[in-house]
Amino acid sequence: MELTTILFYLFSLITLGAAAFMVFSKNIVHSAFALMFALIGVAALYVLLYADFLAATQLLVYVGGILILILFGVMLTSLGYTFNFKTVTVNLAPASLLSATAAVLLIFAFVTTDWKISEIAEPTDTVYDLGMLLMGDYILPFIVAGVLLLIAIIGAILMSTHLSAENREGV
Amino acid sequence: MVEAIKSGWITFKSIFIGMGVTIRHFFGPSVTLQYPDERPVIPDKARTKLYVNIDDCIGCHLCARACPVNCIYIDTVPATSDVDLGKTSTGNPKRFWLTRFDIDMAKCMYCDLCVHPCPTNCIYMVPDYEYSEFDRTNLIYHFSNLEPAMVAEVKEKAEKEAAEKQKQREEMMRKKAEEAKKKQMEAKKPPQQNTDGETGTKSDKSDNGDS
Amino acid sequence: MTQNLLHINPIAILVHAAIPLVIILVYALVAIWAERKVAGFIQDRLGPMRVGGWHGWAQSIADLLKLIQKEDIIPNDASRFLFKFAPFMMFAASYAAFAVIPFSSSYIGSNINIGVFYLLAVTSVLTLSIIMAGWASNNKWSLLGGMRSAAQMVSYEVPTIATVLTVIVVTGSLNLMTVTEMQSGNDILGFLPNWFIFQNPFLLVAFVIFFISILAESHRVPFDLPESESELVAGYQTEYSGMRWAMFMLAEYADMLLLSLLGATLFFGGWNSPFGDFMSGPFWSFFWFMLKGLLLVFVMMWIRWTLPRYRVDQLMHICWSILIPLSFINLVLVALWEVIF
Repeated sequence: MELTTILFYLFSLITLGAAAFMVFSKNIVHSAFALMFALIGVAALYVLLYADFLAATQLLVYVGGILILILFGVMLTSLGYTFNFKTVTVNLAPASLLSATAAVLLIFAFVTTDWKISEIAEPTDTVYDLGMLLMGDYILPFIVAGVLLLIAIIGAILMSTHLSAENREGV
Repeated sequence: MVEAIKSGWITFKSIFIGMGVTIRHFFGPSVTLQYPDERPVIPDKARTKLYVNIDDCIGCHLCARACPVNCIYIDTVPATSDVDLGKTSTGNPKRFWLTRFDIDMAKCMYCDLCVHPCPTNCIYMVPDYEYSEFDRTNLIYHFSNLEPAMVAEVKEKAEKEAAEKQKQREEMMRKKAEEAKKKQMEAKKPPQQNTDGETGTKSDKSDNGDS
Repeated sequence: MTQNLLHINPIAILVHAAIPLVIILVYALVAIWAERKVAGFIQDRLGPMRVGGWHGWAQSIADLLKLIQKEDIIPNDASRFLFKFAPFMMFAASYAAFAVIPFSSSYIGSNINIGVFYLLAVTSVLTLSIIMAGWASNNKWSLLGGMRSAAQMVSYEVPTIATVLTVIVVTGSLNLMTVTEMQSGNDILGFLPNWFIFQNPFLLVAFVIFFISILAESHRVPFDLPESESELVAGYQTEYSGMRWAMFMLAEYADMLLLSLLGATLFFGGWNSPFGDFMSGPFWSFFWFMLKGLLLVFVMMWIRWTLPRYRVDQLMHICWSILIPLSFINLVLVALWEVIF
């Protein structure tokens, strides 16, 4: 087998295994760390698809940013000591129905889509092309996303200042 | 704004001043003494470890009495008249066998008070400060140079002599008592014999007082 | 990167990957010894003197041998897998980032065009491994250290990235090899090398911000809160012993070197000789590059023995209300400068 293939299966296995562990683990913090392995595995798969910029973004945003926020949330919002986070299974029937439906839809989409198959070729300069596309063809979504993030930040600041002001009055 | 720039300036200035100080010390000489290889020169009167020059000791117990923590233990046995223990280097005659002269350096508080009373300057501090031991009893220093057998012999002799002296003294007391009786009986006669006896005892006493 | 990975045979990849590893290991041995020597000299002491003859040069080797022999203690209540895994992940993260550092004019681990971005992305995993270690130890000091470290690194990543971005605005390339090549030559005022630090006053400001941020990113004094030994025992490393602890130490020092080398590449001309063509070439370029990086490491050590530690709130204040606004304003100013000149 070619090295690429071996690596592909290795990283797929890591991703799927970690994802499964994340879902089935009873400990929330273990789930979060399993999510990390899954995200790193996905980043590695991106690399194998020659999407290096996307892979690095995946690492920086998901692993280095969002996952840390998740962990922070898990650890800081606890009432007691952070160790005994047990997940409980609720709404078994609706959840399995929903996920079965989602699975069927995804498989349907996967089978019926007319996938474009092309030879993998190393793009010479991903960053340049990405930048050109973002600033050219996709300028509107880019700006909209930027505005959305700005609104979110302003909202977060407002909420925190409001809360801290209330606290100060309370004290 | 101006305030912020000012405080920023002060921050960086103080950081650089601090770094200047540290870099000067970085290139400056170190004060470390490479201890086992190099040793500090100990000042003259450093209080480090007690030493007794046993040859000069006359067994006067002055040091033991001066010691505030009672860490000096001295046992003496008076020398019998048949031996001459000689003189110390300061010229004092020695009258006692030193059967025990122990200093417990674990108890010693390095006050130096035992050194000064010594009439022959035989107890003093020596510049040795590396005498740690694993066992505390090893810190009791024995300065007496008498063999145990010798100690026993000396003790026996001294006891014998003491007993003899005791006998002599009793004899003397008896004589005195007899003479006193005689005196009483012959009160009118001048007591010529008595003076002889008295001078004898006097000379003995004066000898003792000198020592 | 991918081209290399897929078509060169695996042994060549391993040999290629071993070069930064050897550099890191040798550097770590030297740096740990040097740190103690610097500490000693600054405090008018001598530092380690006894192992190996001249100035105790073999001290780190002796320490390493000792650490190898030590028992690998895992606390009963620790989360075993995560506890064992965290140190290796931390080292892997900082080691992987060395792939895009151009060590010499003819050697770079992986000449990918997202260079700096990849480096920042990979080092962000460091944070996670520290939280992992802190949480898995099941110890309050460890957890506190891990949380502090996470907060600190997430915060200081922002000014770091913003200042790296200022350089990227000037170069227009993320590839560190290209960034270095753009700094060749001695044209500024006729004699100064074309390093970015001399090119533009705002880049000097950027460097100051960058240096402060990398001090925090690599947990150096005055920002060593995650392992502040006077309050948290040893922070997230408290429960670790033997080789696992050594891995943490190695990763910390590797991270320090990595960020210093990044600083040297971005602001001090990377492997370019300060004397133009004099003393240049593959070997000399490696020499100059390491010299610049190690000088920055020395400055870090120097600062460590000069400044006291900040409090947590001061740390966050410095980051969020001073460094981040300043770095973004600076980014805009650099961009304006580039447009005007």
